[in-house]
Amino acid sequence: MILRKVIRLLVVLGVVTFLSYVMLNLLPGDPTVQILGMSATEEAREQLRQEMGLNSPLFVRYADWLGGVVTGDLGTSYITDIPVLEALVDRLPVTLELLVVAQVISLALAVPLAVAAARRAGGAIDQALTTLSFGMLSTPVFVLGVVLILVFAVHLRMLPATGWTPISVDPYWNFLSVLLPSITLAVGQLAVYSRLLRTDLIATLQEDYITLARARGLSPRRILWRHALRPSAISLITAIGLNLGGLIGGAVIIETLFGLPGIGRLIVDSIFARDYLTVQGGVVLISVGYVLVNFAVDLVYAAVDPRIRRA
Amino acid sequence: MRRFKIFVALAVSLAVAGCSAGPRPGTGAASGPPSAGASPVAGGRLVYGLSADAAGFNPVTDQFAAQTYSMVSPIVESLVGIGADGEWKANLAESLTPNTDSDEWTIKIRPGIKFSNGDALDAEVVKANLEAQKASPLTATVFGPVKSVTVADPLTVKVSLSQAWVAFPNYLVSQVGMMVPRASLADPKKASREPVGTGPFVFKEYTAGSRMVVARNPAYWRTGLPYLDEIEFRILPDSQTRAQTLEAGGIDAMGTTRDDDITKFGAMKDAYGVRRVAGMGAPEYTFMLNTAKPPFDDIRVRKALAHATDREAFATTLRAGLTEVADGPWSKDSKWYVPGADYPAFDLAKATALIKEVEAEKGPISFTVLSVPDPNTMQGIELAQDMWRKAGADVSIKQVDQADLVNRAIVGDYEVSISVGFTSADPDGEYIRLHQSYAQDLGKISLNATRLKDTELSNALDSGRSNPQEETRKQAYAVVQQRLRELVPYIFIDHMTTGSVVYKSKVRGIGEHKLPDGSPGVPLTGTPTPYHPFTFVWLSPS
Repeated sequence: MILRKVIRLLVVLGVVTFLSYVMLNLLPGDPTVQILGMSATEEAREQLRQEMGLNSPLFVRYADWLGGVVTGDLGTSYITDIPVLEALVDRLPVTLELLVVAQVISLALAVPLAVAAARRAGGAIDQALTTLSFGMLSTPVFVLGVVLILVFAVHLRMLPATGWTPISVDPYWNFLSVLLPSITLAVGQLAVYSRLLRTDLIATLQEDYITLARARGLSPRRILWRHALRPSAISLITAIGLNLGGLIGGAVIIETLFGLPGIGRLIVDSIFARDYLTVQGGVVLISVGYVLVNFAVDLVYAAVDPRIRRA
Repeated sequence: MRRFKIFVALAVSLAVAGCSAGPRPGTGAASGPPSAGASPVAGGRLVYGLSADAAGFNPVTDQFAAQTYSMVSPIVESLVGIGADGEWKANLAESLTPNTDSDEWTIKIRPGIKFSNGDALDAEVVKANLEAQKASPLTATVFGPVKSVTVADPLTVKVSLSQAWVAFPNYLVSQVGMMVPRASLADPKKASREPVGTGPFVFKEYTAGSRMVVARNPAYWRTGLPYLDEIEFRILPDSQTRAQTLEAGGIDAMGTTRDDDITKFGAMKDAYGVRRVAGMGAPEYTFMLNTAKPPFDDIRVRKALAHATDREAFATTLRAGLTEVADGPWSKDSKWYVPGADYPAFDLAKATALIKEVEAEKGPISFTVLSVPDPNTMQGIELAQDMWRKAGADVSIKQVDQADLVNRAIVGDYEVSISVGFTSADPDGEYIRLHQSYAQDLGKISLNATRLKDTELSNALDSGRSNPQEETRKQAYAVVQQRLRELVPYIFIDHMTTGSVVYKSKVRGIGEHKLPDGSPGVPLTGTPTPYHPFTFVWLSPS
């Protein structure tokens, strides 16, 4: 099973990196203009193109790059002259922390909300959650981020508006600096997760074994938390894995909005600067992360549902 | 209770946002709490918000944008500075003297200056820096006329030029004149990450995409300076959240180009100050026309577009009335400016007649305007589109990113493009942009992006470059302005004096600048957000 997944990972990586390489190279704009500015002569640009290997055919460049990746060398940024791997490793903790805290916040709120809504389907809590979910889903993160900054940073002065303090420097300030961006990112996920879990819980509560549990006199709370929640969580777990792509997309906006030095902003800045190698490195990292997370999700399925493990 | 507090806060903030078009700050370059009269206090840490990160800090190998100058100039200094009157003044150099033909400059270096690594600033280091700039593909074009650099004595270098160049010292203000020690020249990659110079601050730390911290240089050669202990430059790309961070107290000052910020913070005079760029330091907002390509190879179409453009409408609707309309590359408060009635005035009837005349001969006038996908830029382009359509032209807009826009401009793959520039302190700084020798055929890289080839204009630029007499130079640049108005390679809109620094009232000395000879230096310069020296900035304890 693991071998099959590794092969699948390699195929995905090959396809994704090749397509992104082709698309990046189709982008109009000359990297030498970004590096040398408008005043450089054509001779100077041509020399730089030769040095960067930009005059070689696309497939040759891709093969060279892929050869480097296999040996752990993602190349060196055209613009900053920093090894791409080093740049990614520097930025990774910021994005990882943002994604993890956002997931924790969204799950910590989504599960109890979904349980409360499912307990009385159609009741006041359920209806309020439905309305709130649509509101959360329809609010773009860049609007929500600005409003949250306005309320919690500008007026209430409870949290820093922007900026980043690494956890190694000051864990408390790190927590404060990650909170607003994570909440902004978590809101959309919270809506999806709570709606999904609520629906599955309501379906599970119709099962015969739940009726039996009720007949045995178990309390509604015990039935919900001990007997219904676990089998209802499969869709939620799937969504967590699949949503990673959406979260990374949201992180790009969040990192720009809150001035966080993460992977998302690095990739966007690199696209504008035509820093192909850094973008490619970012694509590899995200692809590997995405596949690994979904691999982990498969393992969690087995832990949650013994039938999958036995199969 | 908490929910109530949030609701109240939200309601108040929305009310504030709705009232942002309040009283405008003064039309002068600065408004807010005055620093004159108060004695500077040493110490303190300034947190300064910037809109973008630098690609690198090495003046020889990295292209410097305005934010790069903000971050590097506290550490690395230039041979030359610019005075408040727009004239160059010696800085690290003690003097710069031309020979009678102005084709050789003798640069005498101020004695006793050391880099923060302990190396002395002497003639050998200056020579090595200037030669590195001459060899760098980034700056070689600018240093094109430089033939050789020789050491005359331990503190003197001579720069031989292939032509008379009276404005040569002006170029030494920018990154080509910034001096780094030999170690930085030998290890350009390290210099790109950890700049070393003779400046009032020394490099402390840098996190790409996040922040740079510089600390006071205790051995700075200008005694008693700087005042601040430390500056943190924080990279906050989003202009709205940058302004919110200032309001929330996360930063002490920030660069901005938004008229919203100028009006909003300018109205809160007790809490904030606003310093705006002015004079030659302010860029001009223009539409650049490709004169080598139809329909703009026909001067009638270029003039028609200029006649159809209501510049006042731009200033009032897009800049909240904060800017003045432009009729050339230099503003009225510049000594190089000459008034001219020959710039096509807003006259829709004339514009329509010209378009009809050309259409009768050549068919419909249709063209595309290039824009970057930024909402502020798009507003300007859409306004122009509306005006030009009213004159009868078929105008479409194509959004491209900045890299593509620059690339298209220099290879000529455009018809009309937005262009913000003309910020050189001396008119010779526009030589490459306007001279016909830098205009190439379509498809080739042309540093004169309009590709206008005009002998009279180019001769005037040559005259301005080579004549030391100011009156002769003024006459030459009067011709330049006249030809630009007659030939319309650019549609000038306004002088963008909205580039500003907004700061809390405790921050003093923003834009204050004294050159080593005691004369005032130019307060702010650069585009889109201006930069300024930090040597004289201090924090008021009250």
